[in-house]
Amino acid sequence: MAIIEEPLALPAGEPGPAVKPLGVFTRPRETTGLTTWLTTVDHKRIGIMYGAAAMFFLVIGGVAALLIRIQLATPNNTFLSGDAYNRIFTMHGTVMVFLVVMPIGAAFANYMMPIQVGARDVAFPRINAFSFWVFFLGGLMLNTSWFLGGGANGGWFNYAPNNGIAFSPSTGIDYWSIGLLIVGFGSLTGAINLITTVINLRAPGMSLMKMPVFVWMTLVTQFLLLFAIPVLTVAQLLLIFDRIFDANFFNVAQGADPLLWQHLFWVFGHPEVYLMILPAFGIVSEVIPTFARKPIFGYPFMVFSGVAIGFMGWGVWAHHMFVAGIGPLSVTAFSVATMFIAVPTGVKILNWMATLWGGRLILNTAMLFAIGLVTQFTIGGLSGVSHAIAPSDTQQTDTYYIVAHFHYVLFGGALFGFMSGLYFWWPKVFGHKLDEKIGKWNFWLMVVGFNVTFGPMHILGLQGMPRRMQTYDTVMGFNFWNMIATIGSFVLAVGTVLVLWNALVSYRRWKAAGSPNVGPDPWDGRTLEWSVQSPTPEHNFDESPAVTSLDDFWHRKYVEDENGQVRRVATGDELAQPGNPEGVHLPAPSYWPFVLAAALPIIGYGLIYNLWLIIPGALLVMTALYGWALEPADDLDLPDDHGHGGDDDDHDDGGPPGGAAEELETVQ
Amino acid sequence: MTDVAVPAEVVAGHDAHDDGHHTSLGLSNTKLAMWLFLGSECLLFGALISTYLLSTANFIGEVVAGNPTVLATIPEALAEEFAAEGSVSPIFDIPFTSASSFILLMSSLTMVLAHKAISEGNYKNLRIFLATTAALGASFIAGQVYEFTVFFREGITYDGNLFGSAFFTLTGFHGVHVTGGILMLISLLIVSFRGKLQQDRAETVEIVGLYWHFVDIVWVLIFTIVYLIP
Amino acid sequence: MTNDTHDPGAPNWRDDAADATVDPVMTNSVGSAARSRRRLAGLVALIALGAAACADDKPLNIFEPAGPKAEDIDNLMTFIWPIVAIIFVLVVGGGIWLAIRNRVKPEDFDYDDLPEQVHGNFRLEMLWTILPGVLLAVISIPTVQGIWNLEVKNEAAELDVMVIGQQWWWEYRYDIDGDGFFIDANGDGAVDEADREWPLNLVLDPDDVITANELVIPAGQQIDLILTSRDVIHSFWIPRLNGKRDTVPGRWHTWSLEAFEPGKYTGWCTEFCGLSHARMRMSTIALEPADFDAWLANQAQLAEVPTDEQALRGRDIFANQCMSCHVITDGEFEYPEPFEPPLTSGAAPNLTHLATRTTFAGGIFATYLGPGTEPNDDAFDVANYVDLATLAQAPDSPDDFRWNTPQLKRWVSNAPALKDMAPDDGRGMLPFPQLTDEQLDDVVAYLATLD
Repeated sequence: MAIIEEPLALPAGEPGPAVKPLGVFTRPRETTGLTTWLTTVDHKRIGIMYGAAAMFFLVIGGVAALLIRIQLATPNNTFLSGDAYNRIFTMHGTVMVFLVVMPIGAAFANYMMPIQVGARDVAFPRINAFSFWVFFLGGLMLNTSWFLGGGANGGWFNYAPNNGIAFSPSTGIDYWSIGLLIVGFGSLTGAINLITTVINLRAPGMSLMKMPVFVWMTLVTQFLLLFAIPVLTVAQLLLIFDRIFDANFFNVAQGADPLLWQHLFWVFGHPEVYLMILPAFGIVSEVIPTFARKPIFGYPFMVFSGVAIGFMGWGVWAHHMFVAGIGPLSVTAFSVATMFIAVPTGVKILNWMATLWGGRLILNTAMLFAIGLVTQFTIGGLSGVSHAIAPSDTQQTDTYYIVAHFHYVLFGGALFGFMSGLYFWWPKVFGHKLDEKIGKWNFWLMVVGFNVTFGPMHILGLQGMPRRMQTYDTVMGFNFWNMIATIGSFVLAVGTVLVLWNALVSYRRWKAAGSPNVGPDPWDGRTLEWSVQSPTPEHNFDESPAVTSLDDFWHRKYVEDENGQVRRVATGDELAQPGNPEGVHLPAPSYWPFVLAAALPIIGYGLIYNLWLIIPGALLVMTALYGWALEPADDLDLPDDHGHGGDDDDHDDGGPPGGAAEELETVQ
Repeated sequence: MTDVAVPAEVVAGHDAHDDGHHTSLGLSNTKLAMWLFLGSECLLFGALISTYLLSTANFIGEVVAGNPTVLATIPEALAEEFAAEGSVSPIFDIPFTSASSFILLMSSLTMVLAHKAISEGNYKNLRIFLATTAALGASFIAGQVYEFTVFFREGITYDGNLFGSAFFTLTGFHGVHVTGGILMLISLLIVSFRGKLQQDRAETVEIVGLYWHFVDIVWVLIFTIVYLIP
Repeated sequence: MTNDTHDPGAPNWRDDAADATVDPVMTNSVGSAARSRRRLAGLVALIALGAAACADDKPLNIFEPAGPKAEDIDNLMTFIWPIVAIIFVLVVGGGIWLAIRNRVKPEDFDYDDLPEQVHGNFRLEMLWTILPGVLLAVISIPTVQGIWNLEVKNEAAELDVMVIGQQWWWEYRYDIDGDGFFIDANGDGAVDEADREWPLNLVLDPDDVITANELVIPAGQQIDLILTSRDVIHSFWIPRLNGKRDTVPGRWHTWSLEAFEPGKYTGWCTEFCGLSHARMRMSTIALEPADFDAWLANQAQLAEVPTDEQALRGRDIFANQCMSCHVITDGEFEYPEPFEPPLTSGAAPNLTHLATRTTFAGGIFATYLGPGTEPNDDAFDVANYVDLATLAQAPDSPDDFRWNTPQLKRWVSNAPALKDMAPDDGRGMLPFPQLTDEQLDDVVAYLATLD
């Protein structure tokens, strides 16, 4: 709560004075329209915005991918110049990792996790809004480099000294480092927010080992983010200082060691890849039990393997540097460590298979994608284990074999998991299901297209095709599989776009049918989100659910009878909370998160083009910080469902994040 | 098991997300958030300190080996001292920096006293100690600035060589964090003067105090690693 | 070291009297062009027969090791690939099988028809936690052995070679005097320990042989390499001989190469290094030890000043236009000391014996056109590229190999048009639009004499 807010001891219902702290930017009062999205602090809307933004960036990254495949379809192709190709593959990787996979994970975490733990919102709703806007505006800024600097061109991991001003004089890499720095603030603040939510805001009775697996994976992911982002931040700052202020961190002439960049980047980069996959693991751990009609096999092992991956992920970063000259002792240590990290991942795969075993499987689209993750990720995991064998990696690294590996785990793994989650949770978010027929086409085209695109890349890599090559030569023998991969990529593109088509068509059909509500529990689900109406009411729960076991909702529907048989005793519809918002007050919307987020790219552009621009940017930051701090969490002037007079506002709405002025609030 | 007993206070319609009532760690949301943030800051400073150590080691290696490009960035006398010592210690004024470190340490004490004051409802002392903490922090920053100007005069610049870049970046980041803390303290002071920082908000001061102590501890680390250990 | 097992179907060509077309000692001779063709033909003949025995439609294939280190890696994986395949079949096949077997049709769905609500099986889960761990522990033993084996040096070798990567070509320096050092990097007049790890200057060290693009080594012997870079990180990779090792500016890394048989083994820069990363290629040519000695002796010689008029004109053009970057040691060109080409990486390929190389421009174009190929106007015609299949055919006569004048002319005239570079930034070769067609002929004719 804002620090100078006076808790007005008014009886309920009486309006208090309007609060206009700086004479501008009173609390927004609209209840519909664009402003509501701009100023919302509702975790559900923020989750939807994360998802929509990620889809937008997915299209950008996907078009870049198709351009790459067109260029590589034939040898000595001149479709793209070397410079254009370098920018396109760099932006493809950067956009996909930072602006697609991570935000989709954030979308699901933001929307579903609070509901799954039985909370009304996250711990710091305004910071949550800030996290989204800073990601989105930072991502937009990064993508303006296409027009302004030609796009970053150093590869998504941007090694020194090639990333320095001597070898990459265009501003593309400045956009990369500054844009991602800004996006990183969103991840960091989001991590603080979501961890606090999981630890502090669970429903009564929900101990840690009664949380859904998805919540556990979200928790581990957020811890990984919390500790990994600062390391990337340091790397990016060192690069920015080198490029803009002539520092010498990567200046070999002055004695610097280029490997410093690699170490810093990969200490971030390896936890990064685990935090990209863990949310998808979590999603699949919800989908498979639901549609196998039995609980997840080995809940404790699933939880502990996730935590183990989180811990062990910190100890393997230099497996990206096996040939960088780190010395055989280091290579040995990291090779062995990398092999063992396969163990917890393997446990998960086997536990999912064991959940399928003996189940009564409903093979709808969500389930197909979930089983797809299990199989496709395994392929990526197996190639990963072969990389862990360091001598072999001296042949494999930097080839298309690696490209195949990470696409199998990121696309076949993370993205398939996200598709599963989309189909699974769409009715909860929007009140209707996605069409199953289109969904099947979606799945099969994606699976076929994906494997036709990336399967041959294993072969190409082992036949010696290095990565990041804008072209190749007939004499090398790469022609055939490259053409196949290109064909596959277009099939994959069509398949992927089908989900957007599905969203559109399903919505239209639903509207045409008079918007019949799908009900709170269309899948006969297990976790708490199915105990509220669809779409989720703004306040989530009428009353805080009291939890007594894992899969509590399921166990209220299905009970063991006197014969030891498990029988259904209630339906989801009967048990679901009716969605009555009476007596609930919610955190009020606010402009400040957006304003603060918008101020950061201004500083960013200032760093690139004209340092004087930093001053208005910094002033706007200070203004936004103080405006935020001085703004009460509730404007008592607003209509009822946004603030009841009287109650001391205890939404624990944290103050602004960031290094300068920390939260200035406290809790009652 | 179809009947689930719902705790009374839940039925009363309290938001489930408010509370300090049933947190697992006994920390309020804001305090937990501050601890998490400080956890991430550990990694930030860890990476900066590692960078400093590597960069300075490389720098000294080049100086000792007589690399002309590197030697050209510092005055000859200084280069000789560095080479003789095998470290950058000759440039540091340990007594001065010790005094300034002591000042920062004392500011942590006054911070604790400020929190104690507000917990007891003693608003006069709260203001005194907040102001003192801010003033001590500002003295520390002044000391840093002075030290930097001495370095510039002695020929160590930010963009000159690896040591300059690394040293100023590390200590600069710390200084920015201290400055941010000072701004927070002043804000608290102003709020207190307006009468809005009451005893029931003691936790706010505690949380700012957590940040301040962290910044102090980081300085102890930096002082030890950079200044004291050759 | 005879290693007949590697190509069981190949003729043991070492028994054939290799055509004595190699003239290892420079002599006065008929015409430089003819002489270099003969020399090149000899070189080609030697590698051709070896190359013919290998499948070179996939010249970078790691599954066809041609050297002991690559073979060790391949052997290490002999057991891994089947294990991977088995797990693949079990999991992917198993997943698909379970999906098909356990599926319930929508119309058969019944809320009360629940499967057994199994929560887990502790023993089973412990088993499949521990067993994979044990399996991986077992695999880690030969893995660790492999890691250390790759680092083993050949102490008995007399010759070390330094490999220097730069945008976008490779330089090789042979430590002929055996002092272990290669360049006077710090400009103090001595080539010694103090030169390690610094940006590499180009002081002309007469004790070293300096070549580019093709690393020539004696077959059957491990050659220890010292790898570094002058600008950004590159990676040196000859897949059929060994794994790759990054070349990092400011650092010296050690690696090694050994080929069982004479032959030509292609490679590619494998760390993204900017605009022409895709066009930074190299090869390793392994020769019979005797032939290698002859080759090295030739390389150590000064280039001859030509007598031919056209070549002399070309030499003059070289002196005016090219000497600021390219080095030719013929005893008469005078280079300033320190020699600092206006290039970001500080060096351009040493051309002293260009005519003995089969490729130029960073290993992407052929210096000689083989039999059956015609020069044409298309710079990117595959005929202009290193065509191993063509070179592998035994030449019927030395005249089958023609100096690739058209492509060389195109390159000299406008190199950035053929290979993405940034010459205005000092990275890559400048175009020379001011040279007329005749001048280009002259320069290329001069280059043809450099054997």
